[in-house]
Amino acid sequence: MPSNQTPTTPAGTYLSGRRTRILSLLGLSAALIVVIALATSIGSVHIPFSTTFGILLDRLPFVDIAQTWQSVIATIVLDIRLPRVVLAGLVGASLATAGATYQGLFRNPLADPYLIGVAQGASLGAVIGFLLPVAWNIAGFGLIPLLAFAGALLATATVYMLARVGKTLPVTTLILAGVALSALLGSIVSYLIISSGDKMHSIIFWLMGSFSLSQWSEIQVVLPYVAVGTAVIIILARLLNVMQLDEEQAQQLGVNVERQKIILLAAATLITAASVSFVGTIGFVGIIIPHAVRLIWGADHRFLLPLSVLTGAIFMILTDLVARTILSPTEIPIGVITAICGAPFFLYLLRRRKKAIF
Amino acid sequence: MIELEMQKVTLGYDHHPVLEDITLRVSPGEMVGLIGPNGSGKSTIIKALSRVISPESGRILVDRQDITRIPRRELACMVGVVPQLPLLPSTFTAFEIVLMGRNPHLGLFQSEGKRDWAIAWQAMEKTGTDELANRRVNELSGGEIQCLLIARVLVQETQAILLDEPTANLDIGRQGEILDLIKKLCTQSNLAVLAAVHDLNVAAQYCDRLLLINERRVHAEGTPREVITDRNIKEVYGAENCVYTHPVNGLPTVLLGAHMNKTNGT
Repeated sequence: MPSNQTPTTPAGTYLSGRRTRILSLLGLSAALIVVIALATSIGSVHIPFSTTFGILLDRLPFVDIAQTWQSVIATIVLDIRLPRVVLAGLVGASLATAGATYQGLFRNPLADPYLIGVAQGASLGAVIGFLLPVAWNIAGFGLIPLLAFAGALLATATVYMLARVGKTLPVTTLILAGVALSALLGSIVSYLIISSGDKMHSIIFWLMGSFSLSQWSEIQVVLPYVAVGTAVIIILARLLNVMQLDEEQAQQLGVNVERQKIILLAAATLITAASVSFVGTIGFVGIIIPHAVRLIWGADHRFLLPLSVLTGAIFMILTDLVARTILSPTEIPIGVITAICGAPFFLYLLRRRKKAIF
Repeated sequence: MIELEMQKVTLGYDHHPVLEDITLRVSPGEMVGLIGPNGSGKSTIIKALSRVISPESGRILVDRQDITRIPRRELACMVGVVPQLPLLPSTFTAFEIVLMGRNPHLGLFQSEGKRDWAIAWQAMEKTGTDELANRRVNELSGGEIQCLLIARVLVQETQAILLDEPTANLDIGRQGEILDLIKKLCTQSNLAVLAAVHDLNVAAQYCDRLLLINERRVHAEGTPREVITDRNIKEVYGAENCVYTHPVNGLPTVLLGAHMNKTNGT
């Protein structure tokens, strides 16, 4: 808020801030729908925006639109493009939410979803999956996603146990244990990559992330984790606000800090692990989107988290759109595009607003 | 109305005792001061009474219930704390920080409503922080933050208040205002107030009773007149003959410097 405005009451100004953010939530939800339709209509086969919108609307319950399109077009839209767009949205939402949660939990602006071992754990799991000469499928997970998921959870659990002191979980110890274990796992991954021979290309491509093999079945696996994890985090948003004070004050204001820390960590880790297992360790989104949201709409987690969900989803869908169209038919790894598109925008925000951002 | 009690409590960090065998009681309507040298454990007592740390032995009772049996949220509705100048998250406004005092009164799925906003606004008027409401807390001075934390504890609407050096950063005018406010609340609403105070004159003027803590134990306990004596001050602080009688209210007053020549000479 600019300080030259003279508000009638603080509640008044506070309320008008709330109203702006509620309107932004609605606006972003509408934008997300438009972006989904837009991204679905663009691709190697040209399908008009209106047709795509019609096909998507037709699939909604209680909506019936006269079919003016060939069924092959509907198949391209619904079974090839839409799952890719939806998965990108889910992953973007997860990484942004998890990033905001970690930054809040650790009260550290450098925190991202990969801080305590998720990325390196998932990478190691995935690389082992690439190197194993077998293939199978358990609970909807293929071999590589399964091992990546297991690796991510194992790594985080190890960090968690290493960082525990008595009955408490000091945040600094957790970060240090995470950084150290990530370095260890990272070097193992590097060694495995250089000795992986002809699989090197596909491994590196996986690590940088891609939505090219997205299917509805993957969404069915990822969605429950993301939905439940995100819901839990958003419910705890007010407590996360109070936890922005130090832990002592949060306890004195009635927050069971140790318990909330574990629940929030578990939820954020689970949604991150589920997301990266299928699409690779996409960087940048998890650290930058929450900061961008904070710069624009403020630090109240009750808005920061849902706004990050929407912004993360929109950002990831758009970057994936760029990744698959700009050098079509060649695809660029999404991790490359997230930073190329996102960094300048973020730096612009940073320059424009010179107040403390964290 | 809530009573705070410690029964033969030993407190420490990593089994290294900071305080031993502490027994104290704060009754409703009573303002008790904790005094003692730096590092004597005044803040530790406040942490224990708000269950930030647990005693190694002994019992702590809040409203006659064992503190370990009271869920944290419920405890925060009974006991409010004004911490000693903490770091506050810079991106929040003063109003948002004060509003956090409503947290223990809200269920998991609740959010603050009109009533909570009104309570926060009133508390800010009372503490003279209303002008700061929409400022970010990183722009505020130490004294302003201290007043803000007093506002937050009022918003918490607890029957017992623990204060850790509540006026250490306030100028003499604000110090009087804030202490008068706390004293008034204490007597009018029958609050149990325990304040760690390093300024002995402030302690003597505002507290009904004082506990002088030294070398892990309660060195002396009683009214300011009973506790702030030449003998106690010399034993605990090593300062000689510095207790005088306030010319107006007759309470003990500590004046340093009158014997400076003597101390310099030795």
